[in-house]
Amino acid sequence: MSRRWIERGFTVFAFAAAGILMAVTMVLTGYLVMKGWNSLGLELVFGTTRPMDALCLRRPVLDGLFPAVAGTFALVALSVSIALPLGIGTGIFMSEFASGALKRMFSLFYDILAGSPSIVVGLFGFSISIFLHRYVSGQLYPCLLISALSLAFLVLPYLIRSTQTALENLPPEVRLTALALGASPVQNLFYVLIPRSLPGILSGVVLSIGRCAEDTAVIMLTGVAASAGLPRSVFGNYEALPFHIYTVSSQYMDSAELATGYGASILLFGVTSSLFLFSFIIKNIATARTAVSGPGL
Amino acid sequence: MSRMEKIRIDDLSFAYGKRTILNRVEARFMENTITAITGPSGQGKSSFLMVLNRLWETIPGAHVTGRVNIRFDGEFRDIHHRSMPLTRLRRTVGMVFQTPNPLPMSVAGNVAFPLKLAGTGKRKNTEERVEKALSRVHLWDEVKDRLKDDARKLSGGQQQRLCMARALVFEPEILLLDEPASSLDAKAAAGIEDLMLELKNTCTLIVVSHSMDQVRRTADRVLTLESGELHGCESS
Ligand SMILES: Nc1ncnc2c1ncn2[C@@H]1O[C@H](COP(=O)(O)OP(=O)(O)O)[C@@H](O)[C@H]1O
Ligand SMILES: [Mg+2]
Repeated sequence: MSRRWIERGFTVFAFAAAGILMAVTMVLTGYLVMKGWNSLGLELVFGTTRPMDALCLRRPVLDGLFPAVAGTFALVALSVSIALPLGIGTGIFMSEFASGALKRMFSLFYDILAGSPSIVVGLFGFSISIFLHRYVSGQLYPCLLISALSLAFLVLPYLIRSTQTALENLPPEVRLTALALGASPVQNLFYVLIPRSLPGILSGVVLSIGRCAEDTAVIMLTGVAASAGLPRSVFGNYEALPFHIYTVSSQYMDSAELATGYGASILLFGVTSSLFLFSFIIKNIATARTAVSGPGL
Repeated sequence: MSRMEKIRIDDLSFAYGKRTILNRVEARFMENTITAITGPSGQGKSSFLMVLNRLWETIPGAHVTGRVNIRFDGEFRDIHHRSMPLTRLRRTVGMVFQTPNPLPMSVAGNVAFPLKLAGTGKRKNTEERVEKALSRVHLWDEVKDRLKDDARKLSGGQQQRLCMARALVFEPEILLLDEPASSLDAKAAAGIEDLMLELKNTCTLIVVSHSMDQVRRTADRVLTLESGELHGCESS
């Protein structure tokens, strides 16, 4: 076969791959919207409770998704705020302080962590909570905190890697600028290196948020419950959107109930999209403020 | 006026891993003079400057042997000795890179940045020092109304002078300039040359330059760096 045909074939393949992916995405979202559209509305979220009453926590929502939405937000916020300092700290360590065999060993650990299936991480969280129940306090059960810790563990590799790569890819001139002006290594980190790596670090945060919001396996084993109501404390049960979708689709009684599953999917979509949008805006602001620009003009 | 020695370099070798850049170099630099360093690119001129303020230490695999002594307050001190504080060395030996590298902050913020790092200076004092540094590089009149603007909006020549002002804010005794005119047009380059001649009154300058014209107009002495060796001739 002539080279020209191989090249042409490859081009067609590339176009087709992109096109098919696009089509699948559109079918997927279209199907979701079609199925869930009718169940969308304030009633899906708040049931028969008045929205203001629910938002002000005056009345519980018993037949809507409000507790699940709140649970998912709480879960994401808690996991990400646990994982963030640890992940960024470790990423800084890997890029700035570790070297040689130590660095390779740590790297291997993080790769293993990144490769652990979430059900395994969930099982680990579950065993921890059993351990705590037995040896620390009989009051402790699987709960929001255990879920958040397990999820934090799950997303740590993303944060570590994105921080590490962002720092390691900074051009050498950027590294040297502040040092040449008398900065200590730590000052260099805080005044120059971290601000300049912020866009890269934030991509890791975005990934982590998505991962925490959608995960079902971990939370199923560590404290999510079907009708726990609003999360009241980090030591209590909570509801979450992905878990709601899972329970509804596995044990629905009628098509109306299944429709709330689709409605919940759209909501989850909305929750993750709004979280993404939020981090995207922050990322853009950070990029604009720290972007490298050539001389003048 | 008899000039005093400012920098003494003895038996200095520098390498990136196995790649030798400087091989047992001997050199002396006199106070208040301009020494130009020329030579083909990739021979280690920039690396040589980084040896003088120990900036090479941040580069993995780089290593130095030999002695660099700099006269501080009338007394020669080995810059590699443990008793030599790195921050003090880098404030005394200012360096300006080849491509202007303003930090993503305001014009005034850039010039005041070294003061901020040092934790010195009350506000009033800081403003005075910023103005003084910008005036020394003849940038004050051009930017005095744009001190709060993003420094990256300045033109190339202005950015280069801004970086010089930033290096001058601590009034260094030695100033290392790496091809200061390479990214500038002829007019801006001439401005930098005048500036170098003025700075000679207070600093010892070591300037990497490719432009023979610039070297002829400014330098008291020219050294050529090639194959790890630094050799030179006195001019004028
Ligand atoms: N960070 C580095 N690590 C390894 N080698 C380097 C590094 N920086 C420069 N070099 C090498 O050292 C040599 C000298 O570089 P440099 O000092 O920039 O030369 P010049 O300024 O004369 O062009 C070059 O061959 C370059 O490839
Ligand atoms: Mg160079």
